[in-house]
Amino acid sequence: MSVRYAPVGWNRNKIIYDVVVLAAAVAYILLFIKIAPSFQDVTKPTSGAILRAQAFGTCAFLMLTFILCIGPLARLDQRFLPLLYNRRHFGVITCAIAFTHATHVVSIYYSFSPLNKYVAVLASNTSYDRFLGFPFETFGIFALFLLLVLAATSHDFWLRFLTPPIWKAIHLSVYVAYAAIVCHVALGSLQAKQSPLLAVIVGLSVVAVTGLHLVAGRIERQKDRDTAESADEAPWVVAGHVDSVPDGRGIVVPLEGGERVAVFRYGDKLSALANVCAHQNGPLGEGRIMDGCVTCPWHGFQYRPEDGCSPPPFTEKVATYRLKLDGRRILLDPRANEPGTYVEPVRVTEA
Amino acid sequence: MAGRMPDPGFFVGYLNSVPRPLAIFLVVGAAVLVGSMAGLAFALGTNVNDPGDGTFARKLGKQEMSGILVENPYPILRVRPDAKNPEARTVMLTVPGKRSVKRRGRKLFDQLVDVKGFMFQRGDIDMLQVQGKNSLKAVEVAEGETPPEFTPAPAESLGRWRLIGEICDSKCHLGAMRPGDGLAHKACANLCISSGAPPIFVTAEEGAVEGETFLLMANEDGGPLPDHFGDYVAVLVQLEGEVERLDDLLVFKVDIDATKVF
Repeated sequence: MSVRYAPVGWNRNKIIYDVVVLAAAVAYILLFIKIAPSFQDVTKPTSGAILRAQAFGTCAFLMLTFILCIGPLARLDQRFLPLLYNRRHFGVITCAIAFTHATHVVSIYYSFSPLNKYVAVLASNTSYDRFLGFPFETFGIFALFLLLVLAATSHDFWLRFLTPPIWKAIHLSVYVAYAAIVCHVALGSLQAKQSPLLAVIVGLSVVAVTGLHLVAGRIERQKDRDTAESADEAPWVVAGHVDSVPDGRGIVVPLEGGERVAVFRYGDKLSALANVCAHQNGPLGEGRIMDGCVTCPWHGFQYRPEDGCSPPPFTEKVATYRLKLDGRRILLDPRANEPGTYVEPVRVTEA
Repeated sequence: MAGRMPDPGFFVGYLNSVPRPLAIFLVVGAAVLVGSMAGLAFALGTNVNDPGDGTFARKLGKQEMSGILVENPYPILRVRPDAKNPEARTVMLTVPGKRSVKRRGRKLFDQLVDVKGFMFQRGDIDMLQVQGKNSLKAVEVAEGETPPEFTPAPAESLGRWRLIGEICDSKCHLGAMRPGDGLAHKACANLCISSGAPPIFVTAEEGAVEGETFLLMANEDGGPLPDHFGDYVAVLVQLEGEVERLDDLLVFKVDIDATKVF
């Protein structure tokens, strides 16, 4: 949470996160270009520049695969949530590696001719009418363009400027970029490889990304099916039982129409907020009460449970909902209040 | 936003403390990430195609030879035998970068020339990269001396052949790049060929024509390949045409219309 935009709001966890990601990338690239060639069964070694292009290209692909697995893994097991916290840095590092791959490729394959090297990228292979020999570079250029846009707009300044829905929509194009990279690899390197290893790794990567998303999506859909039942008195719905809400935590209540509400208990009080964090749509109901505030499990954005406002000097707001008790049952008015509207918490007495 | 965590399992990034069970999980996860990346790097880095023995033979030093400079289908030198190399040879020519010898040799075709440069070699085929100042010039004859005479042997027809293989650019395939073939290299090969590097046909079966695997390509009339032939570069194709021998170099004069892609 921040009221001013610093290039990066560094903290210890972000530094550790970045060090681990960089260590993985450096280990990959050094092993690929320095150690592995000694173990190759070849007449003469692969050209150094081509080896570097291969190292950076495959590294970027694998890192993007890891990045795309983080989201569904965090939905399936909350221990992966810390990986989500600084995922944007992971993405920016991946983009830099993909860009390095592209610069190597341009400087190896497209330079030194009478044609401008950037013109040559698009003009030297125009076999768009066939599968084998299709200019797979086009997919790579498109993916790199998307990754650069995502990296350039990854800062919270752009999130605020574009608004979270638009920012989120733009950043979902990472899946389009991944699909383009898979096509880039499938029509390029895979066609040239005699060993099936790369094909196996690419195949497993695609299966991991799509499989994890499908499983996580299915679980989310199942949760949404169990919508809150109507109470005897309209418009109230039954949100749950007082004893099902642990102190300092919340429950997520799906409503008809797809909305979700987070009901939190803090001491002897209950309050309800929209489940969607104003920062990046994180699931507030899976967060905790810290310092008297609902704390998002993704990036730690905080909201007062009574009015859905972030504590000063922060300005984020989420919608609030009315609650009342019917014995030990929690009843919820499904009509959302304007973000930041104060609602008196419901008092809970011990059973 | 400082504060104590209410639950030992809850992670908040901007708080520097991480719950111990979670910290252990994350340390293991980090090790798995770094370790798996290292393992994948080793696996992918060692599983490479053999790019062959093509090499830019700079260590042989600058080569000097003389012979007749021929323009078509692509610039070649019909090397004049001498005491050191008594066998007649035909050497493909190139210049540094993705460029053709044609510009430098435009006034010297069909003449006896002196050439200097460095060799690309792959198997028993080689190519000379004309390099350096005055590295391609007409043979100079001192006043009063008789101009040397040299008439290359006529092309020997080896008949009509149907061959399966891959069209590559000679320069990369002979060692400018390793690997210098395959679809990953297609755009580069197209650019080299369209810029004037001689295209060669690499037969799928080693030594398919009179023991030779590499054939310089030409159209049916012995001229350069048409521009649209770039579509067939770097893929497995079947070509038909007449094969001719120019000394130690085979020339494949392909029937463009009979090209088949697999």
